[in-house]
This record gives sequence, structure tokens and C-alpha cells, in this order.
Amino acid sequence: MHIPDGFIPIVQCLIYYVILIVALYFSVKWAKSNLDEKHIPLLAVLAAGIFAIMSMNMPIPFGTSGHMVGGALVAIVFLAPEAAVLVFTVVLLIQALIFGDGGITALGANVLNMAIIGGFVGLYTFKGLNGTIGKYPAAGVAAWLATVIAALACAIEMGIAGTFPMNIGIPSMVLYHFFIGIIEAVLTVIVLVALDKFRPDLLAWNEGDA
Amino acid sequence: MADITQLMRFDDLASKDSPIHNLEGRIKLISTIFIILVCVISKEIFIPVILEIMLLVILKIARLSYWDSAKRLLMLLPFGGAVIIFQPFIQPGTIIWSYSWLHVTDVGLNWAILLLVRMIVCLTAIIIYSSTTPLQEMASSFRKLKMPRDLAMILSIMVRFLFLFVDELAAIRKSQKARNFDIHSEKTPYKWRVKQVGYTIGMMFLKAYEQGERVHKSMVSRGFSDASEMFDEKKSPEKSDYIYLLIIIIVVIVLEIVLFKYSGQLGYFSQNLAIN
Repeated sequence: MHIPDGFIPIVQCLIYYVILIVALYFSVKWAKSNLDEKHIPLLAVLAAGIFAIMSMNMPIPFGTSGHMVGGALVAIVFLAPEAAVLVFTVVLLIQALIFGDGGITALGANVLNMAIIGGFVGLYTFKGLNGTIGKYPAAGVAAWLATVIAALACAIEMGIAGTFPMNIGIPSMVLYHFFIGIIEAVLTVIVLVALDKFRPDLLAWNEGDA
Repeated sequence: MADITQLMRFDDLASKDSPIHNLEGRIKLISTIFIILVCVISKEIFIPVILEIMLLVILKIARLSYWDSAKRLLMLLPFGGAVIIFQPFIQPGTIIWSYSWLHVTDVGLNWAILLLVRMIVCLTAIIIYSSTTPLQEMASSFRKLKMPRDLAMILSIMVRFLFLFVDELAAIRKSQKARNFDIHSEKTPYKWRVKQVGYTIGMMFLKAYEQGERVHKSMVSRGFSDASEMFDEKKSPEKSDYIYLLIIIIVVIVLEIVLFKYSGQLGYFSQNLAIN
């Protein structure tokens, strides 16, 4: 769901860039007050790792393949969508510049979908369901919903841009990511289980117990 | 997404020598973004097509292979291509061809052509940029162009560690392969394969996080603090850099004037194909 250059009119691109800048402002502020001076190296190296993770293609049933995005994962690990915004802004910028995966002008829109919407939906779904169905099922549902809602946002943006009518774009994007989302959910849960097992101190949800 | 094991090759390519490689990083970044902006704004294919021809000349000057660049371009088309391929069938307009329930409209076809042309030109610009600029130079260009300090620092450190993780991932894949693991193999249960990928990702995540902590500690022990600034070599653009940028800007201005004055003679090239 990386939107390329030329698919969104420039004025709309600018609006998404404004959203991106506001989100970055709050994210940098969050990082400064919550991660102290450790935040820069930590988020930077994590971004490099996420970059590698995003390149691992997993075959999914019905013959296509998908890869993990990890927006919900980063937001849940830090219990903050701001972390996802910082990590994915640099990841998507480099992807756009090196691989041409996602456009430069569409960067604002792509960060909005995958990090801002993905991170917020992921984290708040997780928080909402955590108490009722347990943390791992909640994380799975959160990652799945984050993927589907991000795809929905992508389809809506393309609809507003006039590039792809919403009556076709929304069902096809949502249906496709309905399945991609399952993989995202399963992988998110496996990673969280592994982190909880080996480095429980990394997970923000364990901070209260210590 | 594109194969990141290619990253090493791109950086190799970017470290070669040619008049384009030797241009100052900021100039290359600005000219690339400028070309992309012009393309995104263009509603006619005239300017993008001429820009593409110019980019092909630049590609030659940069001593890059047309064949390899074309292969890279093709690998990047899928998502955008999928959106483009449906356009002739879904946009309302005058029907120019139909077969039972399938209709091709003129508006849709024109729009698809414009999107494809825009996408090809933008990707060519990006391919030239990334094949002539090493990652470190990209990061330093952003720093020099006054990207906010924290973000610029995250970008610079990320770029530095990217190669490490490409290596890590390659090592993990190699050892999995040595144990006959195949992600596409139908002989093993699907659930098991997903689990293996999950563990790999978990491992990468852990390695990344722990490496981040180690890097932080080693930076702090060398005097890093919140107030640290990154060192940038003072290198201002030379005359030739400004000339390169100026040529591109002049070409675009001339093209705009030609398009405005001779739009009658240019036929299809000057037709407004956009629907938004």
C-alpha cells in the first residue's frame, strides 16, 4: 500500500505533509520526555531492523504474498504510536529514495496510513481489548485491524484524489488486506511472545510490574 | 517490496565515478525532487516525456546500464501498475472499445497513460539518484538541508546500521536454507512456516533493539549527549553543481513556454489527460 508519486494531486500531498509534520513534532516531544537521550540511537537502529523485517515476503494462501509492516507492533512495544511515527518516517523516506517504493510527494500520505493510523488503531485497539480477551489476542486483533484500517485509509485517499473510485477501491483494498492482516496479526503476536520471553523489560506493558 | 539484499549493490553502484556521481549531494536531491514535482503537477504528457528523454541522457552520463535500470523500474511497477491497469475500465467517459461487459473509455485510457508516464519518469529520477548517491551522502544532504536535528540523527544512524541488518538477514536466511527450510515449500505445514518467519522477525527485532542499546552505550561513553551535533564536512556546491541544477530548471521553464505557446501543434502531447 505504498502510494507512488503522481497518484495524488500536489495540494492533497501538501495536506498530508502538514499532518506528517504535526505528528513528527509531537513524536519528537514524546521521545524526548519518555526515552531520554537514549531515544535517538535506539529508534534509529530499530528502524534499520524494521527495514529488514519489511523486506521479508511471506507467501499467503490464495497465491499472493505479503510482508509485515509492523506499525502496530512498534506502537504496542512502546505503548506509544509516536514511536511508530518516528521509525516509519525514516523507513518510508529511505524506501522511497532508494527503491522508489512509495513516492516522495506521497510520503505524507504513506506515513499517515502505515504509522499514524496504523499505530493509533493498533495501540488503542490493543488497550481497549487488553482487559477483556488477554494481551496476545488483543495484540493480534489490533495488528489485524491496523492493517485493514490503513488499507481503508489508502483507498479513501486514492478516492479523494480521484485516482481510484472508492466504490471499487475500498472493497478490493479491504478484502486484500483482510488476509494480509491475518499474517500481520500472527507475526505480531509471535514477536511479542518472543520479546516477552527473552527481554520482558523491553515491553512497555511490563513496566508497571517491575 | 524490493529486495533489500540489492542494497549493497546499489551502494556499490553509487560509489563509482562519473560527472553525475561527483555532483554535490544536495544538488542531486533537490534536482530529483524538482523533477518529481514537475511530473506530479503536469496534466499533459509533453513535459514528462521530454524529461524522461533528458533523464535517459543523464543515465548515460552517469555510466549506468540501461538494462539494469529498466529491470529495476519493472520491479517497482506492481502496486502502481495494478492501479493503472484498471483505469481504462472504471473511469466514466466515452466508450471507445467494448467486449460484452468490459468497456474501455477514452478518459480512463488517457488517465492511465498519464499516470504511467508520471510514474516512469519519477522512478527513473529516483533510480538515477539512488544509483549515484551513497546512503551516507543522502543522510548528510538531509542534515545540510536543515532537517530537524533529532530526525536527521535517526536517519543518519539508521542508514549506518542498515547494511548490518541486511547482512544479519542474509546470514539467517543462509542458515535456514542450509537446514533445507523453504518458505514456499508445500511439504511443511503452513502454520509451521509462519511460525518460523515469526521467530526470524522476532530475532531481528530483538537484535535491532539490543544493537540500539549497545550503540547508545558506546556513544554515551564517547561523550554523546542530548546536545551533541553531527559532524558535517564543510563542502559547498561548486559552479558545476549549480550549472547542473540550472540546466534542469531552464529545461523545465522552456518546456512550459513551448507547451503554452504551441499547444495547438503538439496534438496529443499537449492534451489535458488528468481527471483531477
